[in-house]
Amino acid sequence: MFINFFYKLKEVGIPVSPTSFLIFHKALAKGLINSLDDFYTSSRSILIKNERYFDLFDQVFAYHFEGVEIPEYDAAEIDETAKALLEQWLKDPADIARALGIDESVLSKLTPDELIEYFKERLKEQTERHDGGNKWIGTKGTSPVGHSGTHPGGMRVGGVSQNKSAVKVAMERRYKDYSQEGPLTQAMMGEALKKLKNLIPAGAKDIIDIDETIYQTMKNAGEIEIIFKRGLKDRLKVILAIDNGGWSMDPYISVVQSLFNHSRSRFKELKTYFFHNTIYDSLWVDPGRHKVPVSIDKFASKDPETRLIIVGDASMAPYELMSRDGSIYLTHRSGIPSIERLKSLSEIFPHCVWLNPVPIYMWHYTHTIVKISKIFPMFELSLDGLEKAVNYLKAK
Amino acid sequence: MPKNISEKKFSKESKYVLDEEIAKIVNISMALEMPLLLKGEPGTGKTMLAHAIAENLEMPLIVLNVKSSMKLIEALYQYDTLTRLNDSRFGDSNRDVSNIEEYIKMGKIGQAFTAENRTVLLIDEIDKADTDFQDDMLDVLDQMEFDIIETDKTVSANNRPVIIITSNSKKDLSDPFLGRCNFHHIAFPDPKMMRKIINVHFSDISSDLAENAIEAFYNVRNVESLEKKPATRELINWIRALQTDPDFKTKKLAKGNIPYLGVLLKKSQDYAQVQNHINRRRLF
Repeated sequence: MFINFFYKLKEVGIPVSPTSFLIFHKALAKGLINSLDDFYTSSRSILIKNERYFDLFDQVFAYHFEGVEIPEYDAAEIDETAKALLEQWLKDPADIARALGIDESVLSKLTPDELIEYFKERLKEQTERHDGGNKWIGTKGTSPVGHSGTHPGGMRVGGVSQNKSAVKVAMERRYKDYSQEGPLTQAMMGEALKKLKNLIPAGAKDIIDIDETIYQTMKNAGEIEIIFKRGLKDRLKVILAIDNGGWSMDPYISVVQSLFNHSRSRFKELKTYFFHNTIYDSLWVDPGRHKVPVSIDKFASKDPETRLIIVGDASMAPYELMSRDGSIYLTHRSGIPSIERLKSLSEIFPHCVWLNPVPIYMWHYTHTIVKISKIFPMFELSLDGLEKAVNYLKAK
Repeated sequence: MPKNISEKKFSKESKYVLDEEIAKIVNISMALEMPLLLKGEPGTGKTMLAHAIAENLEMPLIVLNVKSSMKLIEALYQYDTLTRLNDSRFGDSNRDVSNIEEYIKMGKIGQAFTAENRTVLLIDEIDKADTDFQDDMLDVLDQMEFDIIETDKTVSANNRPVIIITSNSKKDLSDPFLGRCNFHHIAFPDPKMMRKIINVHFSDISSDLAENAIEAFYNVRNVESLEKKPATRELINWIRALQTDPDFKTKKLAKGNIPYLGVLLKKSQDYAQVQNHINRRRLF
């Protein structure tokens, strides 16, 4: 029973497991499900394990029980099918013309763009669904044209619904907001950062050191001697340097900063500095980058165990990085090329990473990214990249 | 299990406003003997629901607050070696030192298993623990038994507890874990539902105040890029604050004035943001 429903869920990309489907059948067999409403709530709670898929589930449910079209596909699907038609047309115009029941010569006068429009119109006109049929358009059909893809509902647009409440509920699509996977939320990043731990004994001596207790007790000839030790606390120093110049970094600054501030309590020390494009003689404490400079030379005296995290797109004109007077600000003239500064920073802090919001596949297009990624291990500023970066930083 | 208990169904509650959907899901989970996993924003009443279930079914509630460093065994039982060591050394207690069982204390899951009557077991904020803990725990809850290594005994559940698990959706739970649970996501209540919730908590509230407060509350929630949006808990506290202030007039709210903003917002950044927003609105 409802096997189609189950497979439809699978088809639209919801991870549903056969086990949960069996459990659902158990519920059916026990007579727990007596109405469509029951069916809706219980099948969702048993089969769907993440609110992200609630919206899709609603759509499939409405589709399956009421024939409401799964809307998301419409526009794209028509485009796809029209494109497939066009391709077919180019290969074998006569065949298409025959299938559409029109004269080949009429169509052949149209430009490709007009053809596509024409196909689209024809597709929209069609109001009946037919998968696997042999009419001219459909899915998985025997017709020479049409789209071979996975559009589950054929080409019907819209649907007629009766007043059944569960379906109505499903059609409201209450969970639309949850269905989009945000790129990087603070909670997700916080979770990734949580792994960045450096546990050092701290605080009151309130944990029993079993080994030592046994040893001392033995030494005491059986007189119990209980030894306490300090608990482990996370005491890590972190320096965060953010590139906040230029619009390219704007969307990331607040999320990165608030995220690290979030976990501030877990670090022994968290210092945030700012720079523009690349680092010259100093980093800036103030986001405006003109009030409080901190000379790079001063960092040499910091604890080398400090984790240095640089966030920036590392994209700039090559001379800014390589030239001795590369800074785009006339007042900053140092005599040392920025790349040397970066090298010395990476030597001062062996545990360092560069997080780059630029997608990884774009990196090799930018000369300076390639250069800098040779100095600092570079990771993408995504959940995945962040996790890798944290793993890298964790290594002693 | 006694019949009258197994036939109990969950329907109404006193302090918790329940929508029918949740009631149905709870009943299904009980009937299928599966744990129910509840997800949702903080402050949507996940924990409250477990309390309501316990109250409604007249079962004792056992709460296991999961901590990040927690090991499964702590939730099952504890072998109190220190007391035993102490007893063996000083011998001034009534316990029999040679009997290890006297030093086994049940953890929360153990308590739920050994309780005489059926209980509601709330496992709060499971997502704090690591994946191994979650999977191992589900094994125990599946089998409804665990071994005490020290005494080589198996503790099996007298009654299968009603298990409610909550998660703040900080991270995704593992697939095998999810496979064994029923799932429900508690969405943030809409204003209508919120009105009901407020009425339950403040039986004597004037409808004027309730409406305006709820409207103002949703306005605050809609201010963009808040780090921590105020939740039901905050609203309730806020209305309480409004009620205790003798100078407060409902008109103020209607004008877009929001006193005691600090009750709603806990982050200084959010506070400034909303304050800003209010000021700007007043200008126009």
